Amino acid sequence: MSSTVVESAARAQATPTFPGTSRRERSRKLRRSAAIIVLTLWTVFALAPIAWILLMSFKTPGDIVVYPPKFFFAPTLDNYVKVLSGSAFMTPFVNSLIVTLGSLVLTLLIGLPTAYALARFKFRGRENIAFSILSLRFAPELLIILPLYLIFQKIGLYDNYLGLILAYQLVTLPMLVWMLRSFIEDLPVELEEAVAMDGGTRWTAFRHVLFRLIAPGLGASMMLSFIWAWNSYTLPLVLSGKNTQVITTGIQQYIAYQSIDWGPMAAATVVSMVPGILFALFSLRWIVGGLTAGTVKG
Amino acid sequence: MKHKPSLPYLLLLPALALLVAILYPFLTGAWWSFTSYRLNRGAPVPNWGENFLNLFSSGEGLHAIGITLGYAVVVVVLECLFGIGLAMLLNYVGRIGNSFRLLIVLPLLLPPVVAALMWKVMLTENGVVNWLLEAVGSQKLLWLNGPDSALWSVVLIDVWIFTPFVMLLAQAGLKSVPKELSEASAMDGAGPVRNFVSVTLPMLMPVLVVIVTFRGIDSLKMFDIIYTTTKGGPVDATTNLHVMAYLDGIRNLNFGAAMAALIVLWLLCYLISFFLLKARRKEAFS
Repeated sequence: MSSTVVESAARAQATPTFPGTSRRERSRKLRRSAAIIVLTLWTVFALAPIAWILLMSFKTPGDIVVYPPKFFFAPTLDNYVKVLSGSAFMTPFVNSLIVTLGSLVLTLLIGLPTAYALARFKFRGRENIAFSILSLRFAPELLIILPLYLIFQKIGLYDNYLGLILAYQLVTLPMLVWMLRSFIEDLPVELEEAVAMDGGTRWTAFRHVLFRLIAPGLGASMMLSFIWAWNSYTLPLVLSGKNTQVITTGIQQYIAYQSIDWGPMAAATVVSMVPGILFALFSLRWIVGGLTAGTVKG
Repeated sequence: MKHKPSLPYLLLLPALALLVAILYPFLTGAWWSFTSYRLNRGAPVPNWGENFLNLFSSGEGLHAIGITLGYAVVVVVLECLFGIGLAMLLNYVGRIGNSFRLLIVLPLLLPPVVAALMWKVMLTENGVVNWLLEAVGSQKLLWLNGPDSALWSVVLIDVWIFTPFVMLLAQAGLKSVPKELSEASAMDGAGPVRNFVSVTLPMLMPVLVVIVTFRGIDSLKMFDIIYTTTKGGPVDATTNLHVMAYLDGIRNLNFGAAMAALIVLWLLCYLISFFLLKARRKEAFS
């Protein structure tokens, strides 16, 4: 990315532009403006719904249901007060944090050794095991969850943090293993061999060399796993009851059969967007790296 | 480095244990699909394939299969067109593209359920979208409530959320296209279309395989957006296999029929992942 920027800057310096001199230059500028217009249009399309919900979250019930919709109104914080002070939203929010972070820790404990073994050893059945793990991500969730619903009820894991954390491995583990494996494979094995040459064990090589080198990749994979777990809907819909309701299922309670509590729902929606947006701001580049690991050689 | 032959298996032990543990619900469910298991009517009684026969011969079953396949094809084609197009534009405009990218990608990071709810709010009869339509002189539309428009409304939401996913991956893939190649082909008189088909697209292939695998499978098994916005309705206008299985299983407690639908859906997903991953592996070694 940065190299192309430098290149184009260099080129702009090399060929001094006289306004309106070359037709070619003009048509190039025209095309660039057209590209920017199209990008702007899509950006508006992407942001408008988010902006609209943001507006709505500051409206009174009267301002929300009025038609034609209001763009200017006296803003109120009532919806946020209602959402953040009541347990209707805060309990699912805390549950989401517990389940998501718990799944992440378990995924890391299982996934890190798995990814390392798949990347650094040659052994029988390696590709089959790798494919089996990845294929969990590709199965329809209910295929496992529906039987699990009855099994968990029998063994007491239904509506239970531990049960949810175990089930969430279906979402988080395959991708973490897949991405980490690619990251590790991209690193030269010679570094670890050098440690072994100096008398270090495989464990010291892993701890002191590999672990530090894969830190960015590990960060990216963990963030993606966090987002996927946070966004997960089908699993908690089936496997969590009143006690462990998470944010994605909890937010639906503002929709009753006939009436919808629009204001608090909008406020809850805005609050539940926060983690994703924070990640976007801080780690988009890493996230792309994680998704494309193993497919694009830089 | 030398190691004991058992070491890799030892490291894999937790993951293998998990895989084995998952086999239990999987096999249980697979067995149910061959029974007339209803939760409120005692133990599963085998009916040997009747559920599958029903699925492929009843109007509802075929309808759900049709919705599943149609939805996946439409969504993947649209998202690839828009996503790759946006990625090329981002690369074309240079540095300012970074700011665009950050904004365009936001929908992807919201929970799909939340995004779907947002659209549901905007697409109500007196919602802001209908107001916009009236403002430009068009008629109000039924959107998610119309039997003909509901599926397209869900497609719209899916495109809104997941086009940035295709865009991000495509942009990373485009980086691997050497500039000299497209410059050379332009020098030889190739137009932009020719250039895209014979230079960019082949280089984009490995990433495209990943994109189509992920988007294809995720749209075959789409549940979140559909269930949040329409619950499969109106009537069954948006009921794909995954939603049908949920309604069969959790609402009607007909676990036999639900598992049969899920097994069929799983086979569809598995076929795609298998072929595409195979293609990718071949690519990697060639």
